Amino acid sequence: MTMAVQKKICMLGGFSVGKTSLVKRYVESVFSETYLTTVGVKIDKKAVVLGDKTVNLILWDLAGEDDMSSLRLSYMRGAAGYMLVADGTRPATLEMALSLRKRVEAEYGQLPFALLINKKDLTEQWTVTDADLGKLRGDGWWVQSSSARTGEGVDDAFADLATRILG
Amino acid sequence: MDSPPPPASAPLPAQVLERLRTLLLADRAVAWLRMDEALLLAAAGGDLGAYGLDALEPGKPVVEQVHLLEGLLPLVESPYFVPSVEVIKGRVADLHFWLDGGETWLVLLEVTSERDMARRLQQKAYDMTLLQEREAALNRQLEAARRELEAAHEEVKRWNRTLEERVAAQVAELERMNKLKRFLAPSIAEMLMSSGDENILKRHRRDIATLFCDLRGFTAFSENAEPEEVSELLQDYHAALVPLIQAYEGTLDRFVGDGLMVFFNDPVPCPDSTERAVRLAVAMREAVAALAAAWRKRGHQVGFGIGIAQGFATLGQIGFEGRFDYSAIGTVVNTAARLCEQAKDGQILVTSRVATVVAEMAELADIGMLTVKGLSRPLAVSNVLGLKGGDQKVVWLGRQTH
Ligand SMILES: Nc1nc2c(ncn2[C@@H]2O[C@H](COP(=O)(O)OP(=O)(O)OP(=O)(O)O)[C@@H](O)[C@H]2O)c(=O)[nH]1
Ligand SMILES: [Mg+2]
Repeated sequence: MTMAVQKKICMLGGFSVGKTSLVKRYVESVFSETYLTTVGVKIDKKAVVLGDKTVNLILWDLAGEDDMSSLRLSYMRGAAGYMLVADGTRPATLEMALSLRKRVEAEYGQLPFALLINKKDLTEQWTVTDADLGKLRGDGWWVQSSSARTGEGVDDAFADLATRILG
Repeated sequence: MDSPPPPASAPLPAQVLERLRTLLLADRAVAWLRMDEALLLAAAGGDLGAYGLDALEPGKPVVEQVHLLEGLLPLVESPYFVPSVEVIKGRVADLHFWLDGGETWLVLLEVTSERDMARRLQQKAYDMTLLQEREAALNRQLEAARRELEAAHEEVKRWNRTLEERVAAQVAELERMNKLKRFLAPSIAEMLMSSGDENILKRHRRDIATLFCDLRGFTAFSENAEPEEVSELLQDYHAALVPLIQAYEGTLDRFVGDGLMVFFNDPVPCPDSTERAVRLAVAMREAVAALAAAWRKRGHQVGFGIGIAQGFATLGQIGFEGRFDYSAIGTVVNTAARLCEQAKDGQILVTSRVATVVAEMAELADIGMLTVKGLSRPLAVSNVLGLKGGDQKVVWLGRQTH
């Protein structure tokens, strides 16, 4: 029996940016309007086929950050990569994602990661411009906008991150 | 310092330990795993099913079977604690790892209700924070909308101001045009108004034929008669003459009491201005003669005289602020006025220049030289007796201006 490749990926970001919703969309293909905040961590598994390989992604959906609580970086132990999530309608959550990256790198060094600016479907309240994204990309960020509600950009983001993790 | 030292931690009685064990484990799913040095599953037990771990196979790599262990083994520290992990839906456990000999132990101790309690608090706090964020964002939008509204309001005000100015300008224009209308045949006034050509109002010089006429004996009549009678007579008089002036497309310059002035060839060009003036004069004379006959029956002796001259005059808006009139000034106007003064009842006195122009179409009688007030030299003057042989040729004006 050959062991399937297995990789741990953590979902990080401010609270209520849509980390849980993105995982739910990716794993179960559903979306819910109701906000149920995450405490601690919730673990999910998703098998993704990349070329001739199947990879089991072990998704650690962490509790979101706010100004009070600070990330329990211990949840990151053993992660092969991480997904930073921000809410495109709340500029402060983008700042939060940028500072999270610094803190993770201070503790675990450079790991593959992606930045997802979520809730793209809320175009009227959207505050992130294409220029902002362009600037981040220019600074070497892998950044994409997404919507857990419509599913836009979700599968691609995970598949891309998994590909980069496998090197 | 005299107080007794804290009691040394004596071992707890078995009954207390048993009681604590019961309290700690009450309503909690507890499961455990033991792994050998190669991280193959050695043994497992407890409520594995609660965590979806009932199909474990000893002797096989544990990470393949318990995917939450991915990345965590081998342990880098012992004991190692991962709190509040939702392993499967609705089942939350604290993960306790430790090394014993070469073996790795893991205990899953359920904390679902603690997690739910913490979540209720966190949910309230986050919902509240989100509401505040939303409120702040809406306030910002509101403020922006308010500023936009203010700007729009200013814009509307500015528009209203320019609108007022434009309306005022248009009203002034209309007034000017209405004045013009009083002097002109309605058809010509309409044409000028619709062409919107303001240039006609500018001062200019032009060769015009000027006609003056008034009633003889009107002053005496108006002194003796009742005011109603005077205004009735004037009404009849105006009613008879104005349509004639319009019919011959003359420009009515002024109409004061019984005297009036008409000119031709301005603002509407007309090639036969002299002929028209003479024809109009003859028609006027006939019309007033019919009126005078009626008045005579009522005991009023009123006569009618006309003077016509031809020459250059200055035309356009003449006057001062607030009282502009389209008018003509010049020697030709004076001359026509003086000739009118000199004319006896039924006479149409014309200058020699007019006489020459209309010689073909009109019967003329030479009056001789007249000395006219305001002119240095006496004038050769003729009286128009009538038009020759039913001559009624009038070239009607085209719709054009100079
Ligand atoms: N319109 C829209 N709403 C979204 C989207 N993603 C998430 N939401 C909503 O945002 C709220 C928060 O979503 P979660 O997925 O619980 O956010 P989270 O990042 O897991 O939050 P924490 O666990 O508290 O950190 C929920 O009401 C979701 O329905 C999205 O793409 N579009
Ligand atoms: Mg969540």
